[in-house]
Amino acid sequence: MPRRLLREPLAHFAALALLIFAAYAVFAPQAQQAPAGSIVVSSGKIEQMAAIFARTFQRPPSPEELKGLIDDYVTEEIYVREALALGLDSDDTVIRRRLRQKMEFMTSADVDSLTPTDADLQTYLDAHPDAFSEAPQVGFQQVYLNPDRHRETMDQDAATLLEAVRADPKADTSVLGDASLLPYELPLTSIGSIDRIFGAEIAASVAQAEPGVWTGPVASPYGLHLIRVTTKSPGRLPALAEIRDVVLREWSNAKRQDLEAARLADLLGRYDVRIDAGPTRGATP
Amino acid sequence: MKHFLLSTVTLLCWLSPPTAFAQNADNHEGIKPEDVAAVIKREFSPYAGRSFPTRPLFGDTHLHTSVSVDAGTLNRVGQEDAFRFARGEEVLSTGGLRAKLGQPLDFLVIADHAEMYGLMPQLLSGDPEVLSTEAGRRWYGELTSGNFDRIFATAMEIVGSLSGDEPPIKSDKAVRKAWESYTALADRYNDPGVFTAMIGFEWTAGGANNLHRNVLFRDDATVANQTVPFSQFESKNPEDLWSYMAEFEARTGGDVLAIPHNGNLSNGRMFTVENFDGTPLTAEFAAKRIQYEPLIEVSQIKGDGEAHPYLSPNDEFAGYEVWDRSNLNGTEVKTPDMLQYEYAREALKNGLKLAASLGVNPYKFGFVGSTDSHTSLSTAGENNFFGKHSGVEPEPHRWEHVVIEAPDPKFNVLGWQQAASGLAVVWATENTRESIFDAMRRKETYATTGSRMTVRFFGGFDFTAEDAASRMPAAAGYEKGVPMGGDLSKAPEGKAPTFLVAAMKDPYSGNLDRIQIIKGWLGADGATQEKVYDVVWSDDRAPGANGKLPPVGNTVNVEKATWTNTIGDPELITVWTDPEFDPAQSAFYYARVIEIPTPRWTAYEALRFNVKMSEDVPMTTQERAYTSPIWYTP
Repeated sequence: MPRRLLREPLAHFAALALLIFAAYAVFAPQAQQAPAGSIVVSSGKIEQMAAIFARTFQRPPSPEELKGLIDDYVTEEIYVREALALGLDSDDTVIRRRLRQKMEFMTSADVDSLTPTDADLQTYLDAHPDAFSEAPQVGFQQVYLNPDRHRETMDQDAATLLEAVRADPKADTSVLGDASLLPYELPLTSIGSIDRIFGAEIAASVAQAEPGVWTGPVASPYGLHLIRVTTKSPGRLPALAEIRDVVLREWSNAKRQDLEAARLADLLGRYDVRIDAGPTRGATP
Repeated sequence: MKHFLLSTVTLLCWLSPPTAFAQNADNHEGIKPEDVAAVIKREFSPYAGRSFPTRPLFGDTHLHTSVSVDAGTLNRVGQEDAFRFARGEEVLSTGGLRAKLGQPLDFLVIADHAEMYGLMPQLLSGDPEVLSTEAGRRWYGELTSGNFDRIFATAMEIVGSLSGDEPPIKSDKAVRKAWESYTALADRYNDPGVFTAMIGFEWTAGGANNLHRNVLFRDDATVANQTVPFSQFESKNPEDLWSYMAEFEARTGGDVLAIPHNGNLSNGRMFTVENFDGTPLTAEFAAKRIQYEPLIEVSQIKGDGEAHPYLSPNDEFAGYEVWDRSNLNGTEVKTPDMLQYEYAREALKNGLKLAASLGVNPYKFGFVGSTDSHTSLSTAGENNFFGKHSGVEPEPHRWEHVVIEAPDPKFNVLGWQQAASGLAVVWATENTRESIFDAMRRKETYATTGSRMTVRFFGGFDFTAEDAASRMPAAAGYEKGVPMGGDLSKAPEGKAPTFLVAAMKDPYSGNLDRIQIIKGWLGADGATQEKVYDVVWSDDRAPGANGKLPPVGNTVNVEKATWTNTIGDPELITVWTDPEFDPAQSAFYYARVIEIPTPRWTAYEALRFNVKMSEDVPMTTQERAYTSPIWYTP
C-alpha cells in the first residue's frame, strides 16, 4: 500500500520540495531547521494551504476542510521522508533529472531577481570594452579597374591611374576607372560592413591606410582598386548612459552563465569524484 | 524637382567659395557658365531629394529554436543564443560544437511554432502543470531517457502532434508567458542600423501537407503583446489566419504579413485554384490572400521551389535542390499533376489566369529565401551548414542519416538531400523593422540560395544601353522605371518593356555565370506560357545552334572543396528589351542570377570528416538568386 502511494506524482513533488528545503538550508544557513523526526506545520504553511483552497473554490475552507488539508499534508510528509530514507529517489532517472532542472531553474530565477546598480554595470563595461566599443569605422573612395577592360595592360593602367590621382588631389575621381555596382564612395562605415561589400582585402587595406593619400592597387574579388581613406573613426567606448540597456542585457547573460558555473563548482567541491579507467573509449567524441 | 535642385545648388555655389571661383579670381569678366556647370557636376547628387535603398540587407525570415515544440525535443539552444549567433557571436550548438557565422546577418525573424508555443522548455524543466498531463508525463520520460533512438522517435511523434486537431497539452497561460518573454527578448536584441530582430511566429497548418505560414510583425513588443500566436489548433483554414491578422491590425493599429513556404511539399495544395473547402477559388479569397501574403519563401533547407523540370522542360536550371517524391513526411506520394500547384513559376503563371477570370491575382507574390533551421543556428552557407534539426548536426555520418522519416523507408529524406539554403534579401532604406517590413510589403526583395549576391532589377519603357554603362545604374532605375516587385501597365504605342538588370557577386562566393530573365504571360488562347532568356553572361560565349548558351565551365576540386574564379565575371549588367512583347497580354518578368559551380556543403563535409559518400550525392552547386517579379498589365 505505501509503495503505491509513493508512485503518485504528488509524492514525487513533495520529495522534490523537501530536497529544495534541504538545499536552501545549505545555501542560506540562517533559515530555521526543524529537528529530524518531527513534522512542523507552521502557521505560515496553514495560511498558504487556505489561500490555495480559497483561490480554487472562491471561498475560505471550513474548519473541517482545513483539518483535512493539514492531515493530508502530514501524511504526505511522513511518506516522503520514509521514501527518502529508503533511498527511493537515488536510482529514479526521472526524479534525478527533475531535481537537476529545478536546481538549474533556481539559478536562473536568482538571476532574474538580481538588479544591478549603475556601479555594477560600469564595472562590467570597463572590464569588457571590446564587447561594447563602437566598431572602428572608415570612410573612403575607391577607383575600380575591371580586369576585362584592361587585360594585359592592367598593371600598367593601374600605375598610370595612381600617378594621375596623386598628381591632382582635388580632381573629381568619381569619373575615373570603370563603372561598377560597387560604391565609389562610402561614408564612415564599419570594417565588417566594408568586408561584406568589398571582401577582406579592401577591408584590411582601408583599415591600415593613411587618410588623404591615394594608395594601391589593391586586389579584390572584383578587380583592382585604388583607395583613398577620407575619414577614420577608431571606435569609441560609449558612456554607460548611452548604452545602459545593452550593458544590462550582456551583464545578465554573463551573470546567468557565471552563476550556473559557480553553483556547479560549489557542489562539485563537496564531492570526491573518481573515474574508473575502463576500456578505451570509442571514436565518437 | 530637377530644376528646383539645380537652382538650389546654383545658389549654394554662389554663396560658398568652391575651387572654380578661386581659379578665376583673376578673371575680371566674372564667372563663366561653364565654371558653374563644372561645379554643379561635382556637387550634384542624384539621390538628393529622394531616399532610395543603396545597400541590400541579408537575413533569415524563418528560424526555430528550442521554444518550438518539435525543435525543442532535440535542441537545447534558446532564442537568446539564436539572436547572438545571427549577430555574429560564437555559441555552442546542442551537440556541443562551437558555431559562428562567417558574416553576421542584418536581420532575423525567430518564428517558432505557434502550436504549444514555449511548452518544450517548461516540459523539460519538469513543470508540474505540464507533467500532470498524460502526454506530458510520457514525453518527459522518453525525452530524458538518454536513449537517442527513443528520443528521436518521440521527437517525430511530437512533430506529428503539431498537426492534430487538439493540442496534447493545452495551456494558454504558458503560451502567453513564453510569447511575452520572446517579444521582450526581440526588443532587447533589436539594434536599429545594426541588426533587426523582427517579431514573428509560424502557423503550422496542413501538417505534413504543408500549408505553413510565417507571420511577421512590423511592430515592437508593446504591440505584438496585444495578441498571441495563432495556431493551427484554432484553425487550419488560411482564411481564418488572415481574419486573425485583420482583427489584430484593426484593434491595435499594428501591421503584419504572412509568408508561406514549401509549396514543394504540399502535394498540390499550396498554390491551389480552390478555396479551403474545395469550391472553386473566389475573388474574395484571392483578394485576401494577396493582401496578407505579398511574399513567398521560395528556397530553404527542405528544397527549392522556383521551377521544376516537369513544368519547365526547356529550363536546364530548373530542378535545383528539388524534393519531389512526396509530401513532408512521406505519408502521401506526389503525382505529376500536383506539381503545377506547388512551384512558384507556375503559380505566377496561374495567377495571371486567375486575374483574368476573378479580377484579382492571388499569386502576385515576391520572393525571399530562408533556412527554416530548427537548430537555432541560421546557417545557409555551404561551408558552414548546421542542418535542418539537431538530430542531424555535423558529424561524419549525418549525410546518410534520416532527416525526416517516412512510413515507407524509400521516402525517407536523407541528410545529404538537405539544401544549404537560403537568404531573404531586402532593398530597405535602413536597417530597421519598419524599413525592412515596408520593403517586404512592396516586394522589393529577392531570394538567394545562400550567397550574398547584390542584384538590381528595374522595369520601364525607357531604359537604354547607356543606363547599363552608368556609374549609378540604380539612379536611372528608380527614376525611369520600377524596382523588383513593381508594376508596369499600358505600354506606350510601339514600345516594349525594357529591363535594367545588374548583379554583383558575393565577395566570398563564386563569380557569376549569367543573368536570365524569365517571362511568363497569358496568351490570347487563355493558356499561360513561359520563356527563359539569357540576357547577359560571362566570358566569350555565344548561344549555340540550339539557341542555348554553353555552360560556363567548372573549376571545382571536389576532393579539396575548392574552386577558382578563373571563369565567370564578378559583375554583370545589361539592359534587355522583350523581343516578343504583346501589349494586350498580361505578363510577369523576374531575374535569375546564377553563379559558377562551387563546392556543395557535402563536399566540405566529405573533406572535414574524411568520409566517402555514395555516387548519388551531389558535390557541386550553382548558387542562384531569384528577384521578385515585375508585372505588366495591359
